[in-house]
Amino acid sequence: MAAASASPPASSATSSAVSARPAAVRSAARAPRTKGRSPAQQRRRLAWWFMCPLIVLNALVIVTPACLAVYYSFTDWTGLGPAHFIGLANYRKLFSDADFRNALLHNVYWTLFFLVVPMAMGLLGAYLLSRITRFQVLFRIAYFIPYTVASVVTAAVWQRLLSSDSGLGKVLGVNFLGDVHLSLLTVASINNWAWWGFLVVVFLTAMQGVNASLYEAAEIDGAGEWRKFVSITLPSIRPTFMFLGLMTIIWSFLAFDYIYILTQGGPAGSTDVLSTLQYRNAFSAQQAGYAAAIGVVMAMISAVVVIGYQTLRRRKGWDI
Amino acid sequence: MAMYDATPPHGPRPAPGRPRPLSRRGFLSLTGGLAAGATGLLSACGTAAGNSQELQLWSAFPSADVQDYFTRNFLDVYNKTATRKVQLSVKPGAAIDRLLQTALSAGGGPDFIGASGPTQALTYVNAGKTAVLDPFVDVYGWDETLLPWALKPGRVDGKLYSLPMQNETMAMYYNPATFEKHGWQPPTDLAEFDALCADAKSKGIMPLAAGNANWKAATEWYLSVFLNHAAGPEPVYQALTGQLPWTDAVFVDAVTLMSDQFKRGWWGGSVSDYFTNQFVDLYGKLVDGSAAMMISGTWTFADLPGYFGEGAGNDATWDWAVLPQLSSHAPPVVWDLSVGATYSINAACEHLPAAADFLNFLVSDPKRQLAALADVALEPPPLHITDADYAPGTDPRVKRLFEQFQAADLCGYTTWTFWPPQSETYAYEEMEKVVTGMTTPKSYCSGLQELFAKELATGDVPAVPPPDGAL
Repeated sequence: MAAASASPPASSATSSAVSARPAAVRSAARAPRTKGRSPAQQRRRLAWWFMCPLIVLNALVIVTPACLAVYYSFTDWTGLGPAHFIGLANYRKLFSDADFRNALLHNVYWTLFFLVVPMAMGLLGAYLLSRITRFQVLFRIAYFIPYTVASVVTAAVWQRLLSSDSGLGKVLGVNFLGDVHLSLLTVASINNWAWWGFLVVVFLTAMQGVNASLYEAAEIDGAGEWRKFVSITLPSIRPTFMFLGLMTIIWSFLAFDYIYILTQGGPAGSTDVLSTLQYRNAFSAQQAGYAAAIGVVMAMISAVVVIGYQTLRRRKGWDI
Repeated sequence: MAMYDATPPHGPRPAPGRPRPLSRRGFLSLTGGLAAGATGLLSACGTAAGNSQELQLWSAFPSADVQDYFTRNFLDVYNKTATRKVQLSVKPGAAIDRLLQTALSAGGGPDFIGASGPTQALTYVNAGKTAVLDPFVDVYGWDETLLPWALKPGRVDGKLYSLPMQNETMAMYYNPATFEKHGWQPPTDLAEFDALCADAKSKGIMPLAAGNANWKAATEWYLSVFLNHAAGPEPVYQALTGQLPWTDAVFVDAVTLMSDQFKRGWWGGSVSDYFTNQFVDLYGKLVDGSAAMMISGTWTFADLPGYFGEGAGNDATWDWAVLPQLSSHAPPVVWDLSVGATYSINAACEHLPAAADFLNFLVSDPKRQLAALADVALEPPPLHITDADYAPGTDPRVKRLFEQFQAADLCGYTTWTFWPPQSETYAYEEMEKVVTGMTTPKSYCSGLQELFAKELATGDVPAVPPPDGAL
């Protein structure tokens, strides 16, 4: 513990932390220096080596493409051949592009939908499941299964179920995916069908960690189910709730698979979101530089959300 | 953590002779180096054209039967005598373009660059990814064997970069039994077309089996029909050569006509149904008489046997007719020129003569090509074809179409063959907004003109033959 001995006198909290460490760690900390390095240095070095593969992987598949995307967003790259620097032209185009505004608006709708509908369904489902003991596992599995089904399979099944030619659409006289006023809501609902069961399981796990004595005390005080849910359950699972809210916002701006499989952003751009617009520009319209600018904007939106959340964590003390 | 850390801010100074502890800076340098090395290694592992002893061919096929036929009757036959063999790598049809673009932009890719037409091939040409084929034109006599109109869009600045592989055109398909039952005749002009569609609609029959759920770009098939058969090929030719703007009334009227017919539910039953109609259902409707007609390309020949007749377990039959004249601007009969596939050679290919030899094999023997047409309805390249070239088992309906097409004296222009890439994408993407009433035909044409003018200025418009001299 040479490093510790060189430190200022430990506070009581520190002493407590030291004594709380396992005996093996303490004995390792007392071990004499090897090769001139302190145990703390050795631990640090070992930690870096463990992180090494992950950081190499990140540098390869995240940092490098991200840097390239930023670079290409300032060029007229078609996706093939040379790229020419055009300054902020792609970003200026974003502001005047009606398709971009349309897609961004759809992302906002998508986010609001997924912040409200599946979250509410997930909370309700989890709360109801937490009240039962018989068949709870069966229900959990049943709710979770759609989440494990490949999106392409789910999409194909719902496409047939809702078909205006032979499915529910024919019975109701509605074309769910072909009507520009219904298509976005329909695609979001199909995605939600596969998603909300996952939220049920996560919320249920969080709810099962709530101290049961709180509910007993509330019952003695005469609290009803709603009061217990609002005053005990929700505050107790707030970290989980906030985390899922944060991830919902980020994932909503990355939504792609269900939309692309079901409508490819159509009809007439009625289900276009930033990711489908980006894909189309990159691969169909040969405007990879512009697509990169859209990608940079998407990343900035996610960054703003994360920074906002971190700020709330610091100010309000909310934890994940 | 910091409380146990006596390390100076810039890390400990190493004692002489002792291994240096890994500092953050050192760690980042190391991982950065490793990442760069790994990147280089991965790049080197990519499929680089020219590094293989065999020529690499990527292709997608509409069915396993066609793939098997191509392998047995083209690839295996060529490889038996070739000095450098060709290796086929089958890719999914929906992804092959993306795979190719990604591989090419990474400096790799196969030796042969396939495209869905001269328009798409042009994007590879402009990016410098394709080799010049002119040294082989005289060697193999491509100017003689291939039809001039089809070879022309493959030229950029006078140099040949792509060879046409599939000769296509548009036609109207129908079930003769349905027509007989309702007393219809294939329409020849707009009045007859309107009357038939209105009659079909009133009887609860879908006038035109159409939809773009499986292929979003299907809308450009129909747009091409309206431009060539309502506006007429001469104005289209003038627009493609920059002599007439796309905002001209003749085009606005053609787009308006298309939009009106969509809104009346003639194409696909209704506007909303058009976006969700799948080909499998549309063919079914043509078979059972719940759809009257289908306007599509000659690639449809490959699909029809799967739905009609013995192979499909029914006694339904099909036939085709020339597309009707959709306005007085247009000539009565126009044959739309279409190249459905092209091949170029990767600029990075190290075996250019061998690659050119294989391309020549694919376009040099009309009999082999027409046998493929007879056996699996694989469309032939645009070759000079004589009656003797047709295989004995060729479907007479198919033969009749290609004979009439070859004998035509007036041609139209399909968007995927003669339009520049961005304008082509705009054409079908934005047309959805017109038919749904989200934008007007005039505004659509203005947007098209703006985009087209830019691409014309940058030389992105394929070379266009005149309408009366192409064939």
